[in-house]
Amino acid sequence: MSTTAPHRPFERTELSAEAAALVTGPAEHPLHPDHTPTGQLSFGAFFQGVNSSTIWRLPESGDQVAWESFEALVATAERGKFAAFFLGEGLRLREHRGVPFELDVAGRPDAQTLLAALAAVTEHIGLVATQNTTYNDPVDLARRLQTLDLLSGGRAGWNVVTTDNAWTGENFRRGGYLDHEDRYVHAEAFVQIAEQFWRGEQIEHEGAHYSVRAQGDLPRSAQGRPVLFQAGASPTGQDFAARTADVIFSPHGALAAAVDFRRSIVERTVAAGRDPGSVKILPGAEVVLAATEQEADEKVRWVRDLQIGPEQAIALLEQYWGRDLSSFDPEGPLPDVEPEVAESGVTRGAGFQFAKAQELTRAWREEAAEKGQSILEFARVQAGSRRGTFTGSYDAVAERLAEFARLGAIDGLNITPWLIPSGLDDIVDHLIPRLQERGVYPTEYAGSTLRENLGLPAL
Amino acid sequence: MTTTALDLGAQSAGVPLQRSDLPVLAVDLISDPSVLERIGQLAQDLERSGVGALTLSDGGLHPIHVASYLAPLTRTIALLPRTDAVYVEPFHLATQLMSLDHLSHGRAGWLLTAETDPAVPASVGRAALGPEDTAREAADVLEAARLIWDSWAQDAVVRDAARGVYVDAARLQYADFEGETFSVRGPAITPRSPQGLLPVLVTDVDRAAVGERVATELADGRVLDLDVSTGARPGAVADTVRQALTETTGPVVCLVRLVGLDLDADPLGTVAELTATLREQGLIAAAPSAEQSLRDQLSLPTAARTADPARRSDRGRLTSEDHA
Repeated sequence: MSTTAPHRPFERTELSAEAAALVTGPAEHPLHPDHTPTGQLSFGAFFQGVNSSTIWRLPESGDQVAWESFEALVATAERGKFAAFFLGEGLRLREHRGVPFELDVAGRPDAQTLLAALAAVTEHIGLVATQNTTYNDPVDLARRLQTLDLLSGGRAGWNVVTTDNAWTGENFRRGGYLDHEDRYVHAEAFVQIAEQFWRGEQIEHEGAHYSVRAQGDLPRSAQGRPVLFQAGASPTGQDFAARTADVIFSPHGALAAAVDFRRSIVERTVAAGRDPGSVKILPGAEVVLAATEQEADEKVRWVRDLQIGPEQAIALLEQYWGRDLSSFDPEGPLPDVEPEVAESGVTRGAGFQFAKAQELTRAWREEAAEKGQSILEFARVQAGSRRGTFTGSYDAVAERLAEFARLGAIDGLNITPWLIPSGLDDIVDHLIPRLQERGVYPTEYAGSTLRENLGLPAL
Repeated sequence: MTTTALDLGAQSAGVPLQRSDLPVLAVDLISDPSVLERIGQLAQDLERSGVGALTLSDGGLHPIHVASYLAPLTRTIALLPRTDAVYVEPFHLATQLMSLDHLSHGRAGWLLTAETDPAVPASVGRAALGPEDTAREAADVLEAARLIWDSWAQDAVVRDAARGVYVDAARLQYADFEGETFSVRGPAITPRSPQGLLPVLVTDVDRAAVGERVATELADGRVLDLDVSTGARPGAVADTVRQALTETTGPVVCLVRLVGLDLDADPLGTVAELTATLREQGLIAAAPSAEQSLRDQLSLPTAARTADPARRSDRGRLTSEDHA
């Protein structure tokens, strides 16, 4: 049972000016008439295992594949009463200009295989695997997820992702077979088949992309079925999430954007005939903390310097220019040459393709020139802007998050540590006690299942 | 593992065999949801009683994940899921198995089966294959899996801070496997696992379905099955093992596997008695130590990587002279 105090409606005087300006209703429904804040936050720990978010250059940067790294990080997360431990997935090694990308952390174990092992050494924390609907078979994946749910006593989660990427398809039997528009249609049918399997039903599916005949034959888990996470940010993705997901892993770290996103999801959830309280929002986030604001400012700069070195800065621009920029000085201004491609997308497997290269590179050149930024400085700001960073003193970040909670803008954060395996230590030691003092974070696990620990209604 | 220079036929009961690479004793557990509550304890008890390996047969829960679950609960015992090579995505299967090898610190192996139950292809929307196609597919999937396992050099993660390089693409290679029904590009999304190439074994009951090529040419060895479902007389079991070890043709017996162990009728007592007899008579290998990989236990040589310049992952930036 939860030992946290029941939610206390906030006083207007407790809000910052920024927050007060966003409030449109009474304390029970500050953001939307159909939404009541729980006033509580849940944390997830996102072990990325790829990309530039994880610093590998420091002596204390641990092995990215060793069991001991995962075991240590999950132990810290469980000490901090994190609701979930979250693993990503990429089904093809990232490439840059036709060669596997060498500059960032790369190569990770299979998410579910690893989580099944972590189930044996953890008691409370949820275990969430990112798994792709395009390059899996629904009954096989449903069986593996239910295996994880049963092995962990009802702590499994599935982050449902889709792709239409034929380049990734080169690793799979079907190859690239899915049109971009069909991604969510396919994903929805896939999730429905998985849910039928989890309910122990007879499955007779004849669809555009496959036919499946099977019988669900495993017992129900303690939480009924794995908790469904989804990260769709586009309108189609949001609607898919509002219809099917339990948790939305959104990209919004700023308060105003988070409020807009909450309102959008509430509208869509109600339109889908679901209770808005049955869909939680946990933005992906990076947290950089220090004792004082000034130290935190210095620390976040230090983190960015280590995340994005000169080589990565050039590579970042090369994605958008579509050409070799290695002759440009990372300390100098942005390249004064035109991009060679109409659309970006050279570093495959990254999530920011198809920008209009001409317009974008011109705008960037102007922006960097205006701010007097070098390639390196500009790349660090760009990379940082995608991370949803919460930075500041322990007290300031705690206060800001408490405000998010009181408004009900978010239900928690999915935190990517920038160091493995020690990257959650200061969050657990310094931030969480302050959130607990403010009554917005649990002091004990609410229950034994992931569903319970996320505050989701029982199925 | 070899059988050269052995004269096993001359051995009589009770006299230790001279083979240096004796088979490893394994116990088969079924991944049935009803055993979940006690499977961790059972694995630990079997490890303590000197069993060298556990095999996980499919009883509903996915055997690879059950093997993973047991990995951190045990220290020396090898873990071999018995799982299909036909109606699967080869890339996923290879990734899952090499991940098991990582998290078990080199204790993973694969009991390769070829599914013959028509419900399995129906569940993934594929047509059931006939015997020949099944055997060909199993061979293709095994070859593809090995190419994926072999796609990263042991030292591919260089962490060269001076050059800003985390992984050296020159130490990666594509799998570039082209089979009859599928192709796989690679490289692996997981760095090379401790054993590099996981031992792949075929049980006697699966031999017909996987076909002779997989069973005798491609796999690392044979699994001798001993059905102990109706109890087991140690003397008779020892005779069967001795007989199998004296066979001079066919694949080498790598594992001696107890199947059908009755979990409700003193399974540890049964296993302890058989283990003692088989060890006394020199028919199975000693209990493994913590530092031993499954390859070590099976006396398989360290898996050397096959580097293929034509498949190097950095070929996209090489000039033709670099290739030569």
